[in-house]
Amino acid sequence: MIVIYSIKILWLLLKTQIRSQTQYRLSFLADVFTTAIFSSIYFLAFALILQRFETVAGWTLGEIAFLVGMTETSFAFMDLLFSGFDPDSFSPMVRMGSLDQFMVRPVSLTIQVLGSRLILRRLGRVLEGLAVLAFGIVTTQPDWTWLKTFYLPVVLVCQVICMGSIFMMGSTITFWTVERIEAVNILTYGGNELMSYPMNIYPRWLLFIFTYFVPFIFVNFYPTLYFLDKPDPLNFPVFAPFLTPLVAIGMALAAYWFWGYGLRHYQSTGT
Amino acid sequence: MQAFLKIVGISARQQMTYRTALVAGLFTNLFFGILRASLLIALYQGETSVNGMDVGGAITYVALSQAMIAYLTIFGNTEMGRTVSDGSIASDLIKPVHFILLWLGRDLGRSLVNFVVRGLFFIGLFSLFYSLYFPTGVGRWFLFVISLIFSWLLNFFWRMLVNLGAFWSPDIQGFARLAFGFSQLFSGFVLPLRLLPDWFSRLSNWTPFPGMMNHPMEIYLGIYSPSQLLGAFGHQLVWLFILVFLCLVLFRLGIRRLVIQGG
Amino acid sequence: METIVQVRHLTKDFRVLHRNAGKWGAWNDFFHPQYRTIRAVDGISFDIQPGELIGYIGPNGAGKSTTIKMLTGLLVPTGGEILVKGMIPWKDRRKYVANIGVVFGQRRTLWWDLPVIDSLEVLKAIYRIPDSLFNHNLGMFRKILDLDSFLESPVRSLSLGQRMRAELCAAFLHNPALLFLDEPTIGLDVVAKERIREFIRHLHREGTTILLTTHDLTDVERLCERVMVLDWGKILYDGNLQELTSRFEGVNEMRVSFAENGEDGLLEGLEPPVREGRYYVYRIDPRKVSIPDLVSSLYRTHPVVDLEIRKPKLEDTIRKIYENKSLNTPD
Repeated sequence: MIVIYSIKILWLLLKTQIRSQTQYRLSFLADVFTTAIFSSIYFLAFALILQRFETVAGWTLGEIAFLVGMTETSFAFMDLLFSGFDPDSFSPMVRMGSLDQFMVRPVSLTIQVLGSRLILRRLGRVLEGLAVLAFGIVTTQPDWTWLKTFYLPVVLVCQVICMGSIFMMGSTITFWTVERIEAVNILTYGGNELMSYPMNIYPRWLLFIFTYFVPFIFVNFYPTLYFLDKPDPLNFPVFAPFLTPLVAIGMALAAYWFWGYGLRHYQSTGT
Repeated sequence: MQAFLKIVGISARQQMTYRTALVAGLFTNLFFGILRASLLIALYQGETSVNGMDVGGAITYVALSQAMIAYLTIFGNTEMGRTVSDGSIASDLIKPVHFILLWLGRDLGRSLVNFVVRGLFFIGLFSLFYSLYFPTGVGRWFLFVISLIFSWLLNFFWRMLVNLGAFWSPDIQGFARLAFGFSQLFSGFVLPLRLLPDWFSRLSNWTPFPGMMNHPMEIYLGIYSPSQLLGAFGHQLVWLFILVFLCLVLFRLGIRRLVIQGG
Repeated sequence: METIVQVRHLTKDFRVLHRNAGKWGAWNDFFHPQYRTIRAVDGISFDIQPGELIGYIGPNGAGKSTTIKMLTGLLVPTGGEILVKGMIPWKDRRKYVANIGVVFGQRRTLWWDLPVIDSLEVLKAIYRIPDSLFNHNLGMFRKILDLDSFLESPVRSLSLGQRMRAELCAAFLHNPALLFLDEPTIGLDVVAKERIREFIRHLHREGTTILLTTHDLTDVERLCERVMVLDWGKILYDGNLQELTSRFEGVNEMRVSFAENGEDGLLEGLEPPVREGRYYVYRIDPRKVSIPDLVSSLYRTHPVVDLEIRKPKLEDTIRKIYENKSLNTPD
């Protein structure tokens, strides 16, 4: 019962934002378009550089495009959905007491925060990600199987969950620090960039952190190795590409627990 | 002059209170720096020099660009623009300091703190991970510092120019994002211009942006020949002139518009 | 009658970062942050009966908003207990909050970009208000608060007065038995304030218990029978408004104008008056002088043209209370 209620309220909160943002059709579409252009700048720059170097660690442009496309699409999608939990917007909410306003209502705070912000123009970045991914698929012509077709969207969803969890944790930290913590950017924007390239180019110790502490290596790199039938340069176990869902679930649980802890702290100390 | 220095001082002190942000910012820079450096190493893969830049130079470039992020406010900001749309510009306009100087002072205060904390400290930190090049000879250092000052000014007036758009449009966010995206791309912040195709660097020379990052970096690395050096400084100065001029003009026009329309 | 709110020895401490002044202060803060404890609420106790309309007043920083936050479940106390309708506010927050209404005068409740009516519809879903009640309440508020003129407008385009009316409507839509109003008339013009007060009075007549926090003492004078005066986290006075003024040395003012000018206006037993144009203004302590006697004797002995007695201002009374407190309490 409470689940249905919560979803209904969330939808009501989101619906109004969707309506107000798409009010002016043309200007909305222009926004989406410019966002797509803006987001493609980094990949374009990289593509241009690759003209001089041809490959990177044995990966061609198309193969990199696959990596980038995957993580861009999911990151952008997460950014769109979890706009409420974006530490940049969440920390002002805490500071200005908007959170208090939420707490006075008999709805779960998580739902209210999720429903508080939905930046639809970020769809532009989702489109950019998909375009780059499509480019990657077309240029690499991987050997496609049924399992791959099924697993690709699963990986994308898991990526969204992983990044969303980080966002949530980053916002939870602002309960203690009030100002937004730039270090969270390391995991979100940094994580996105990290996963955009074949991870075996990174120094040993960095790989270690992102294998055993924040297992990003299983979130994009390994599934992509599987999709593109590329050899594993690090000699991980054969099932490595399929650990992605486990990582996603683990992160989601950690995020939710930490969020609850943060809320309890906020209640005892106020702003 | 006194007022200006005071503004700089207050802004600097304000910036120092954000201690957690400053320290965290350091680590963010470090992280991205390591990512970029790793990428460059993988790209070079043993090749000694590409278009006049070797791997060590490229890494130093990346390190410097990360160090300069906060100092130059590379990602831009729309602070000034927002004061126009929410009306708080009024309190700035009645101050006894010229509006542009006011923002210059505020920005300078912040930048100086960032220069030390996220600039110098960062270089020190980064050099623990990668060996960096340092210019030999006082001459090069001197030229580098001058170029850095110009680059800061260029960046400031570019941001001011973008923000002045707020006098004409209530919401400059979208436009600002695009504008700052372009400046990042063409300034060589994303990756050294030298490593991009020649037609690209030639194209970017028609913009003020290389002066914001690429020029000072390459002066630091000593890649320029004396004639190229002159060219680089000339480029910075000419564009600085243009940007300052545009800012003053647009400011005058914008204020007139604001006063007439009543904001 | 069962008390609706019970507060016992409520205490709240905060740990605050101590900002150092001076040239090296900023660097010190950077490397060696220091904290100190502030006691915002210091062992206060009170009861509220159903149907009361109480004014909760005090200077800024007195601990008012902290108390309200604890009463509304936003903050967990450091010590003491609160029972509202038998519930502990911060424990079962979601369940508790469905029973109360809150208006934060300085913050937005309603969704900024939405038309008012849309916000109310969302609230209807959130508080699970049945259609009949929703329509009934909405109809009533539309009339009393005159909402029709801006019901369809987005909240961001409303004037402050309109927004306040909308917020009040929103707070009461689900018929809460207890209403917390935090500075509901702040920033409003006189007409708008009166409108809001009228609405509050209406709610009070309907039996809602209301706790009103305000800086505007006219609000208190117009609406409340009982006031609680808070300062330094302690309740300095809790009781009847009339008693408050008479207890704390209210100085009455007698303004007299005489037929002949040039009088020095000195009267027996009274301080010399202050001249304000035609008027002579005397300060009278009603505890020392019988006003009726004074007036009648004045008319007998002097050619009085105009006479007016002004009661003490609530502001002065309150100020006296604060001064009293700060004189008597060691820091």
